Amino acid sequence: MKQNIRVKINGRVYEEEVEPRQLLSFFLRETIGLTGTHVGCVIGECGACTILLDGKLVKSCLLFAAQTDNREIVTIEGLADDGKLHPIQEAFVQGYGLQCGYCTPGMVLAAHYLLGRNPDPTEEEIRKGLGGNLCMCTGYMQIVEAVKEAAKKVNR
Amino acid sequence: MVDRKYIGRTARSKEGPRHVTGRGHFTDDFTLPGMLHAVILRSPHAHARIVKVDATAARQTPGVFAVITPAEIQQKSRPFKPGRYAAGLKKTIPEYATAIDKARYVGEPIGALAARSRGAAEDALELIGVEYDPLPAVVDTAEAVRPSSALLFDELGSNLAWKGSLRYGDIEGAFKQADRIVKENLKIHRYSSTPLEPLACIASFDAASRKLTAWVNAQVPEVIYDALREALGLEDVRVIIPDIGGGFGQKIHLIRKYVVLVSLLAMESGRPVKWIEDRSEHMMAAGHSCGQEFDVEAAVKKDGTVLGLKFKEIDDVGGSISTLTIHFTNKLNNLSNTYKVKNIFLEGHSVVTNKCPVIPNRGIGKPGMCFIWERIMDRIAEELSLSPVEVRFTNLVQPGEMPYTTPSGNVYDSGDYPGLLKRALEKIEYDKLREEQKRERERGRLLGIGVVIGVEPGGRNAARDMAIFPEMKESPGSGGVNGATIKLEKNGTLTLFLGSPNCGQSHETTTAQVAADILGIDPEQISTSTPFDSDLAPWGVAAANSGNNFHLYDIGAVHGAATRLREKVLALAAHVLNAKPQELTIEGGVVQAAGSPIKKITFAELGKIAYGNQAMMPKGFEAGLQATFYYTFPHGEPNLVPGPEGLVRAQFTFSAGVHVAVVEVEKDTGKVHVLRYLIVGDNGTVINPDVVNGQIYGSAAHGISVALGEGFVYNSDGQLLTLTLTDYGKSSTMETPRIEAEHRPAPSPFTVLGQKAAGEGAAIPSPAAIASAVEDALRPLGVKVRELPLSPEAVWKLIRKHESGKRKTEG
Repeated sequence: MKQNIRVKINGRVYEEEVEPRQLLSFFLRETIGLTGTHVGCVIGECGACTILLDGKLVKSCLLFAAQTDNREIVTIEGLADDGKLHPIQEAFVQGYGLQCGYCTPGMVLAAHYLLGRNPDPTEEEIRKGLGGNLCMCTGYMQIVEAVKEAAKKVNR
Repeated sequence: MVDRKYIGRTARSKEGPRHVTGRGHFTDDFTLPGMLHAVILRSPHAHARIVKVDATAARQTPGVFAVITPAEIQQKSRPFKPGRYAAGLKKTIPEYATAIDKARYVGEPIGALAARSRGAAEDALELIGVEYDPLPAVVDTAEAVRPSSALLFDELGSNLAWKGSLRYGDIEGAFKQADRIVKENLKIHRYSSTPLEPLACIASFDAASRKLTAWVNAQVPEVIYDALREALGLEDVRVIIPDIGGGFGQKIHLIRKYVVLVSLLAMESGRPVKWIEDRSEHMMAAGHSCGQEFDVEAAVKKDGTVLGLKFKEIDDVGGSISTLTIHFTNKLNNLSNTYKVKNIFLEGHSVVTNKCPVIPNRGIGKPGMCFIWERIMDRIAEELSLSPVEVRFTNLVQPGEMPYTTPSGNVYDSGDYPGLLKRALEKIEYDKLREEQKRERERGRLLGIGVVIGVEPGGRNAARDMAIFPEMKESPGSGGVNGATIKLEKNGTLTLFLGSPNCGQSHETTTAQVAADILGIDPEQISTSTPFDSDLAPWGVAAANSGNNFHLYDIGAVHGAATRLREKVLALAAHVLNAKPQELTIEGGVVQAAGSPIKKITFAELGKIAYGNQAMMPKGFEAGLQATFYYTFPHGEPNLVPGPEGLVRAQFTFSAGVHVAVVEVEKDTGKVHVLRYLIVGDNGTVINPDVVNGQIYGSAAHGISVALGEGFVYNSDGQLLTLTLTDYGKSSTMETPRIEAEHRPAPSPFTVLGQKAAGEGAAIPSPAAIASAVEDALRPLGVKVRELPLSPEAVWKLIRKHESGKRKTEG
């Protein structure tokens, strides 16, 4: 039994028919075509599918698409403003806060959420804020440093 | 020699902007018209005969387009050619893309199915009936080699699938002359780098031309190419490799099975087919680093000089024969570590078990070799009452001995090992730290310091295996070759075609920096053609994201192609400007003649001439401004191929690093806290420090996580208990320590820029560094660290074992 949902994604309204069992992560990737939301585990462990739902940081593999009716989503594709990188994205590029790029969308959004609530975090707070997002490449060093740099820019 | 304006410093990342905006292109991001979705049927048993597979109901389900069972595999495909790691087997064992008559590990592929959607495919998979006859699971190497044990491969007559040994120098003499023999038994567990992007493949087959195109996140295109030819007899194969979400060796070998299965489904259904592995499939069947056990003996003099090293290795290689010796054969790559020991004997035992097959992972066997050396060095120091640091100083190869030939024939290109060690001790303030440790111990704190050293070999030489398997009839090849093409576009920008895919090591950025310096242009003006496409890319046997090949073959090829293009640019510009090529300089994409500010021409103007104005080209000039260069290592001799004494170069460049770990152990919980982690390393000429540091931090963090608990656990039935990243114990930001890195480069005299490998290096000594530090922390309790991982549970047990032993003796 398919369901109709109306959901705002990166500022645009979509009216879609979804299967009740379709996960939000696959809905974003396959139905909407926003492939920046990555899938690494489908059980909420890795954070690659992290998005913002009504301003809250969530793992989109832990929700069904049907649960997002009348709600608002921001994915990684919604962060840059008209091609201009968001200061957090810019800090990740400048500081080599990524290697293979697979965890990056989730990391950037987790950093965005953290700095929105705590503009001047300590290293410990940054590490806690990113604790739900795994990276297998970097050892997190340059990611944490990039978030520190981003905090300086965001605060300026 | 070109000016180094871009080499040696950071540059704006070429890969970064697409990834931070979610515009990276990974295999799963591609959709083809009419594409079907595949799922894999896997064995739930660790060891079982496959009696019957009935796919009738699945085949009749609407929306299901193709089903493959073992019967189809046997009809429609051929076994893979036995690879060089199976060269020592007494009998050839055919290995197909699925199990045929027997499943040998949980998760082994039995079949595959393609349907309109992934959900429909998963539903239909449940309709395939498989009748199994379960057999006893063999999960322990000691059990496996008992005559009473169930056999994995009846053809071999034993689960000890291979045994072999190598001997260098006069090992008996060394042990006779020794003042003392220091012995130890060591173990390393099964782990993996668990790339965040699982295995992924799309296959599309054009029946009319019999051309197969595979989009796949494989690290080595050649493996895919060969697999499709061997298994499916396809000659026209195009391998496209989009962005890879992490590799670490995990995406080299076993991935070929899935490419063959997905290709068969595409051929059968006449539709493109996509397959995306899920996390639990990855954990159970995508390959593990080998469980290794070592019996080590060192012959030493009273002053700590090591005269000889003997070790017997027992490898738990899992349920496949295709990579069974890979972790042992790689011991030849860093057999001597940084030490000038002349006499070495090693014996390898590859034992097949009902576990996931072993595969390369960040160093393949080299972390084990470093673990052998560094644990035995600590044990020597302890038994001779010497400082562990002094014992290492006593045995290090000296800078004046470089290039240094090791007993097995490796040639260490350059390095100042004592210098690295001295600097690390100075930077960590070693003496002060020891004093602090003494004070804190009195207060009951368990602080430990571990200082280890290791090499990171780079490059490839398959001929190494001829020294290990004298029975090898055919040469597996030698050295490496890889190509690169560079093209000056009509508008003056440059496009690079690399021979190797990229899985996170910034190939696009680094090669642009090198080409920019050679051609006198801003790296912003250079772009790399992505994804890797075997129809377009120049390549060779080193076209790979493995073996730390990039620094040697790709940089060599880009350097060669850019130098060749520079010569063409200068020849054309000299003609147009009426000057001599040697009077010309290039800066910012403008060729300038000496002496006259107006005698200059831009790359864009040259592009217009080279592609469209014959009258302005010099006589005999090959039109166009494009160059291709195939690089092979020019210093491959001596020992490129083993001679009568069996000496052979296993790899060609040798980076090195000293790792210092400072840890504190919680006595009540066994939890280890890494307080400081320092690396002083030599990676030769560093092309981009941010990139190289990233590789160091990442590989060190993995080695530390491995040492402190991440790993695979099986129960006695051969069921994998660690199917998720949480159960497996992957470290997050919260568990991963800060890592300090300092560079003391000794440029290689053999490479184009003095560069050496920088990739998996820090994963090689880091497990040993943590083991050393934890043992040092527990020294007041008399605990010995012989085994990884040092999870809180394992450390707590070590402490308890000691305490209960103490109570017994006291009581």
